[in-house]
Amino acid sequence: MKLLIIEDEQALNASMVSYLQAGGYTCDTALNYHDGSRMLADQHYTCVLVDLTLPGGNGLDLVRLLKKNNPDTGIIIISAKNALDDKITGLELGADDYLTKPFHLSELNARLRSVIRRRNFNGQKVIKIGNLEVFPESAEALVQGRKLTLTKKEYDLLLYFVTNKNRVLTKDSIAEHLWGDHIESLDSLDFVYTHIKNLRRKLVEAGGEDPITTVYGMGYKFSF
Amino acid sequence: MRILTKTSLYYLLVSVIVFLLGGLSFYKILQTEIYDEVDDQLFTDKENIIEYIRSHNELPNVTSGISEAIIVRETSAHAGALEALSDTLIFSTYDEEYVPFRKLTFTTYQDGKPFEYTILKSLMDFEDLFESTMLAMAWIFVLLLIGLAGVNYFINKYNWRNFYDTLERAKRYSLTQRKPLLLKPTDTQEFQELNEVLQAMTGKIHNDYLNLKEFTENASHEIQTPLAIVGSKLELFMQSDNLTQAQASMLEEMHASINRLSRLNRSLILLTRIENREFSENEVIPLHELLQEQLDQLHEMMLMHDIQVEIEAMQPVFVEMNIGLCEILISNLLLNAIRHNSTGGIIRISLKADELCIKNSGEPLQEEPVTLFERFRSGNKLSGSMGIGLALVSKISELYQLTPSYTYEEGLHVLRLKFQKNIS
Repeated sequence: MKLLIIEDEQALNASMVSYLQAGGYTCDTALNYHDGSRMLADQHYTCVLVDLTLPGGNGLDLVRLLKKNNPDTGIIIISAKNALDDKITGLELGADDYLTKPFHLSELNARLRSVIRRRNFNGQKVIKIGNLEVFPESAEALVQGRKLTLTKKEYDLLLYFVTNKNRVLTKDSIAEHLWGDHIESLDSLDFVYTHIKNLRRKLVEAGGEDPITTVYGMGYKFSF
Repeated sequence: MRILTKTSLYYLLVSVIVFLLGGLSFYKILQTEIYDEVDDQLFTDKENIIEYIRSHNELPNVTSGISEAIIVRETSAHAGALEALSDTLIFSTYDEEYVPFRKLTFTTYQDGKPFEYTILKSLMDFEDLFESTMLAMAWIFVLLLIGLAGVNYFINKYNWRNFYDTLERAKRYSLTQRKPLLLKPTDTQEFQELNEVLQAMTGKIHNDYLNLKEFTENASHEIQTPLAIVGSKLELFMQSDNLTQAQASMLEEMHASINRLSRLNRSLILLTRIENREFSENEVIPLHELLQEQLDQLHEMMLMHDIQVEIEAMQPVFVEMNIGLCEILISNLLLNAIRHNSTGGIIRISLKADELCIKNSGEPLQEEPVTLFERFRSGNKLSGSMGIGLALVSKISELYQLTPSYTYEEGLHVLRLKFQKNIS
């Protein structure tokens, strides 16, 4: 799957590329409006990540352009501005999602997966890792063919893990993913712990193997 | 006391003193004049009588004088009071009252025999004149006083109107309205100066405020990108395979701090945007539904702290607000009630047509309740809150003319939100 990242901050651009490439994506990058529009005209991308404030133009115009020429390309807007108007305009123009800087790379990855899944009707309907199968459409998960009884939060957590498999996920990023950013830290970190404990128990009861490891108290990693 | 009342009162006071002193001297002068006049007449009569006796060598006809009565009495040669003036009261059978008289007693000789003359003159007419004059004076005084006080009042009122206008505008002036203070020009020099000073002062404050706000806004926005970079690099760093335990815990701490900073910055941006009135799209929100929704979302958190929720009242209430802000408002109030609660505590919620009341158990406040709605006020440092939640509540409330208040009743923290624009 090929992605285009249009972001003028070199360092941030590089971070995204690095994280997403490790997840199996091919990434092209553009640092300004003109490079971005040229590359969009030349090639076809599965999904485009676009910043709104770019040297040489407004990212919203790129969204418009893309919607006109390649309506099946997924679009995620990344912006430092949390302006409601931009968000509404962006989504109205046809962007699939809107992320406000600063964001967790794991969150970006999860959103990207979700956009691709939603757009790609003919694609993969099940995510398989080891003996685990996750069906995003029906929000179900099977271990060795047996259905797991998960709460909504546990399922979300599992999907987040699966999407970011083999990556260290911090408690903060998990908390924000599950509860949004209005919940302040300390309380939600306890929840994360509780939910992970429950999810582990359910996975172990169904399959015998615990795929979630704690990494030096830094976070959690899901791997088979 | 208003300046108009004050000047009017001073004016009245001075007028009364001046008129009283004036009246008193007028009375004294008039009285002296009358006595002089009466005494003159009495002495003239006396001269006439003596002259008459000398030329005619007989006692004059008593009715011929100007005076009301002349009493002649033969007297012994020794008792010779030569001349005496005095006041006396004589009972008048006609008027049935005592009438004041002026009396001149003198002794004269006819054929070597002493005669005592007493000339009496009624003061009644003078007294009447005196009374009417004083009454007229009093009336003039009262009318003049009322007239002058009235004129003074209206002139003052007219002169001060510009001042009151300025005062009213200055009172209504708010930095957040983003308009300079406009004052009516006036031809009174002092007021014009006041206006200019006020305008210059507010202009300066307004500019400083805008600069500060712009700085905060820009700083908050500009911080976003570096935060994103540091955060993403840390996240990538964490993916490294050969980290030691010590490195990992350093990374974890850095990451947590960056997150905290990001959240803080986001809240500050939100506050700024509320102040900038960026949330203009309002809609009618069923508050009872939104409250229930938020309660459901926070259910988990309450379970975790073993907090019981008691709904005392949940009436359908509709408010016109921006939905996003309304959610922030309610969730912050509820989060506050959870965060400052004790394990096994309670939260009592009552939503009525005119107010939302959230009570929660917990330790009493360590500080003044008034500071509660300010930024970075966090009653309990252990709770990990940044003290921005209630500042948000306060800002949002201000925007929609809701009145938040805090009290501590029967061991419960009580946060009330009074609605005004209720359209249920």
